[in-house]
This record gives sequence, C-alpha cells and structure tokens, in this order.
Amino acid sequence: MQKRVVFRSRLLPYLLVLPQIAITVIFFWPSYQAIESSFFIEDAFGFSREWVALDNYTELFDDPGYLKSFRTTLIFGVSVAFLAMSISLGLAVAANRVVKAATGYRTLLIWPYAVAPALAGVIWYFLMNPSLGIVSYWLKGVGVDWNHYLNGDQALLLVIVAAAWKQVSYNFLFFLAGLQSIPKSMLEAAAIDRAGPVRRFWTIVFPLLTPTTFFLLVVNLVYAFFDTFALIHATTEGGPVDATSVLVFRVYNTGFIGQDYGSSAAQSVILMGLVIAMTFVQFRYVERKVQY
Amino acid sequence: MADLKIQELGKTYPGGVTAVSDVNIDIADGEFIVLVGPSGCGKSTILRMIAGLETITTGELQIEGRRVNNLEPGERDIAMVFQNYALYPHMSVRKNMEYGLKNEGLPKAQIAERIAEASRTLRLEDYLDRKPRQLSGGQRQRVAMGRAIVRDPKVFLFDEPLSNLDAKLRTQLRAELKALHNRLGATFIYVTHDQVEAMSLADRIVIMNHGVVEQIGTPMDLYLRPASRFVADFIGTPAMNMFEGKLSADGGSVLVDGGHTFGLNTPVNGSAGTQVVIGIRPEHLHRGDGHDIRLPLTVGFVEQLGADTVVHGTLNGGSEALSVRFSGVQMPETGSIIELGCAAENLHMFDVVTGRRLG
Repeated sequence: MQKRVVFRSRLLPYLLVLPQIAITVIFFWPSYQAIESSFFIEDAFGFSREWVALDNYTELFDDPGYLKSFRTTLIFGVSVAFLAMSISLGLAVAANRVVKAATGYRTLLIWPYAVAPALAGVIWYFLMNPSLGIVSYWLKGVGVDWNHYLNGDQALLLVIVAAAWKQVSYNFLFFLAGLQSIPKSMLEAAAIDRAGPVRRFWTIVFPLLTPTTFFLLVVNLVYAFFDTFALIHATTEGGPVDATSVLVFRVYNTGFIGQDYGSSAAQSVILMGLVIAMTFVQFRYVERKVQY
Repeated sequence: MADLKIQELGKTYPGGVTAVSDVNIDIADGEFIVLVGPSGCGKSTILRMIAGLETITTGELQIEGRRVNNLEPGERDIAMVFQNYALYPHMSVRKNMEYGLKNEGLPKAQIAERIAEASRTLRLEDYLDRKPRQLSGGQRQRVAMGRAIVRDPKVFLFDEPLSNLDAKLRTQLRAELKALHNRLGATFIYVTHDQVEAMSLADRIVIMNHGVVEQIGTPMDLYLRPASRFVADFIGTPAMNMFEGKLSADGGSVLVDGGHTFGLNTPVNGSAGTQVVIGIRPEHLHRGDGHDIRLPLTVGFVEQLGADTVVHGTLNGGSEALSVRFSGVQMPETGSIIELGCAAENLHMFDVVTGRRLG
C-alpha cells in the first residue's frame, strides 16, 4: 500500500515541483528549437525560412565530409577514452600503493581537472607549436618532424593527447575510489592462492573495477564527443583540412562560420540522439548487467 | 601436513608500535592450535605473520624445518580462511575453489577431482555454479573452507572464521570444523577471541595478552592451572572470583582486604603481608559448611540459565563480588545468605604485581 500525502495548501505541491518544471523547460526548449530548425532552411540573417522536411538530414549523409567527421569523431572518442582511462588506471594503482604523503600526491593528480578546456588547449598548443613549442623541439631532437599545421594525423594525435590529459584526473578519482573499495583481504586471499601481483590485478582487481570502468567509458566517450569543442577550437580549429573536425566542432562550423542554421541544427539533433542512446545504455547496463 | 617452529617472533610497526614480541611456540604435525585473547592482543598479527601477509621484524618462523620468514604467502604452502571469507565476488563457487589450483598449474582433471571431493565433503555440490552473493553466511563460510581444502596445504590458518555467524550456526560449524580436522589430520592454527571456541576446538591453546603469550597448554591445563591472573580470568564463564589479600605470617592463610580469611591447603613461601590474589571458580563452590574454605554469599541477583543457576552477590555482605554456579534450578532470595565452601585444592593464588601463579 502506498501512502498518500494530502497537502493542506493547494499551492504548495505546485511550488515544490516548480524547480523541476523550470529545469525541464530550460533543458527542453532549446532542444525543441534545434529539432524545429533542422526541418528548415534559413537565410543567414534570419529573415525567412523554408520548410524542407528531412532534406537537411539526407544532405548530411550524402556529404563525404560529414561522414569523414563521423569517422574522425569515432577515432577521437575511442582514443581519448582509452588513453585517458588506461593512464588514470595506472596512476590510481600507483597512488593506491603510496603510503607517505598520499593526500598531497593525490591532490596534485587532480589538478589538471581544474584547468579550463580552452586553457588546456592553449597549453598544449604552446608545448607542441612547431616553431616555438618545447615538445616539438624535443621531438625534432629524436628525429620526429612535428608539424600539426600540415600533418592531419599529427593534429588529431595532438587533440587526442590534450583531451585525454584533461580527463585523466576525473578518471583517476573514480578509479582510486574503486580500488579502495576492494577489500584488502580479497587480495591477500589471492596472494595466498599463489597469484602474483600482475595476475592479482587482472583476475581480481580489474574484474572488480568493471562497474567503475564501464561508467567511466560512457562518461569519457560523452566527454570526447561533446565536451571537447573549446579544446579543439583553441588548438587546431578543426584543421588542417578538417582532420580534427569532430562532430561538435562541425556543428559550430556549419552554424556560426558557414551560417547554415538548418544543417547545423540537424547535426545537433543527431548528436542529441547519440547522447540519449549512450545515457540509456549507461543507465540500463551500469545498474544491472555490469556487476558481479 | 607439517610442524611449525615459532622462535622469538616479534612484530614492531614502523613508528615504534610493538604488536607482538617474544613468541615461542612449537606446533606438532597435525595439531589443532588455537590462538585466543582479547582484541588487540596480537593473535591475528601472529597468524598473518605465519601466512606471510605481515612481515616478521624479529625472530624466526619455520615450516617443516624450513625457514620461511622471507617467502611470499603463495610460496609457504599454507591456506587461510578469513573472517569475512574474502571470496572472489565475481567468480562462481567452482571458480573460487579453482583459482589457487590454476595458479599452481595443476592439470584440469586433477582440479576437477579435488573440487568434486571437497564439495562433497562440504556439501556444496548444488552450489558450485552460484556466485558468493547468492549464498547464505554458512554456505559462504564453507566455500571459504573449500577453497582452503582443495589446495591441500601443509598448514591451515583460520582468522576468526565463525565470528560473523549467528550462535546456532557457529556451534554447528564448530563441530564440522573439528570433524574436518580429524579427517584431514592437517595442522590447524585458529584465531578467535571466543574462549568457548578455543576450549572446544583446541588440542592446545595459546592465550595472549598485550602482544605476549600468557600461557600455552591444553584446554584443561588452562582451566585447572592457569599460569596467570589474566588466564584465570579469561577462561571460564562466569569468570573466576578474585579476591585481593595479604599473606599471613606462617604462609598458611590469606586475609582478604574485606576481612575474610582463607586457609591454604599447602603453605606458600613469602613474607607476611605480601599482597596476593585468591581465585575460586564459581562452579567449584558448593553449599554447606563442611568444606576446607568457607564463604558466605549475600545474594545480589540470580541468573536462571535453565540447566544452571548463576548467583551473583557479595562475600559476606562486604565489597568483594562473589558468584557461584549451581546446577539445576535454584531460587535464592535477594539479600539472603548462602553458606558456600570449596576444597582447598580448587584455590588459585596469583602475585598481585606480576599476575603470575603462586604455588
């Protein structure tokens, strides 16, 4: 039997749900606007628009540039997630073993998260700049000719590294918490069961971290797909020749540079669909399937 | 199956805290040794040092004549059952038991054989494909034991394995554990804070306090001739009655601070006025006035336990607490006086300063 609460005032219940309603409106209104505009072609100054049904979408999927951007985004997202997660897992395992000055060490590892995305981009821009960057200078020393202005692969690598660097701290926090929640006696039991440190990690620790890993995988992919605009804008601006033009960057480029609002809106809607799908996967599987 | 030699074993943590010092125990092959003591006495530390989970700072540990101080836990040929079972939650019961054997590189057929045998012994056959979280506490406990048994180790270590279970299950598993020891004939080292568990399981008990061994002996040794006041107090429920007093000039009697005199069976050496502690177990007191030592009990409150009745009160209405255990149902009235007595041979005497046994 569910207990029913009767409010004395008629106004109070509405007042209580008001914040939720406000949030819903604030979130849904722009989304609705995007969906609406994606069915129109609009002139650059917004004086007139014409209903074109799904033309904006069909045009996108006929555009090799857009399909290439899809591929770039996929490579970018997967690489960022893999790089950021493997580095942070390594750091978390190391930090978990530190006894002396553990808090200080951990705090330092969390710092990159406090750096604004655009700033992170600028930092990497200067480090890697072909004419004045220190890292590109070192690379030249070992025989690598670094120029991400000309080399599209190098440009992509640059934004991947920069984006991953930014995300390492966040992953680190979750992995560390996950590691600390594994009972020590379980690892001791494994040690008595003749499993060496490496085997212990892969057969006990890593499987027990699965829920954390899966959660972070989704978060990292969402981050790489949708949250890296400022970083790319500050470093490569999508170039050279669209080599680093991921989907979010393209939305901006099409809308604000190309002033094709309809197509930009259609791209937004596709991205929105992706986010919804990924969130759905996360809620459905993180809660139920990925556990032990 | 092996003997253990523990010599001058000690553990000092970085920072200077000494958990255990100067422990000497010789454990025979196939013996059931129980380490018992209050929490923080160092019993688990000793067990963990034997397992190799804790480094040994001083002394030596030998298993089957081989020094193992610096061996990894996996190289010592031991198995351990943890208090919280430490089952691998992502593995089925079968996988949990296989894990150690796979790490050893045992052939598949042999692994299957050992698991079949262990699961038959422990009645786990129906649960082999379940995950630990689908099992009850008692079943998890049995899986933990199964994981140890399949390894066929030289020494089994148990770290309070029954303390997470309810009282009834604990009694049942205690009996199973004892039967298991008889069947396997292996060396068992068992840590507990429960003196009843220690008394009922052990061949020999090692009783510890503040990081040192108070006494090593069979359960009856500890019960009948406790080597110290601590052991006397720890073993037996309700706890032993203790009275502080002064030795008389001839060493033949003790004057308790409350004014009561105890005549001693055999006079002890010691100068007159030496402070001593007299101990008498509640179950060694009997009604009547024809005993060597006579103690009037002023009844305070009565615990009816069914088979037994424990009467708590004071010695002769004074400040000394006195308890007695009668068999059967008894209903003495609060405030009434019961004449009690005991045989002089049941009297224990300890040094007040060192706590060691006198006489």
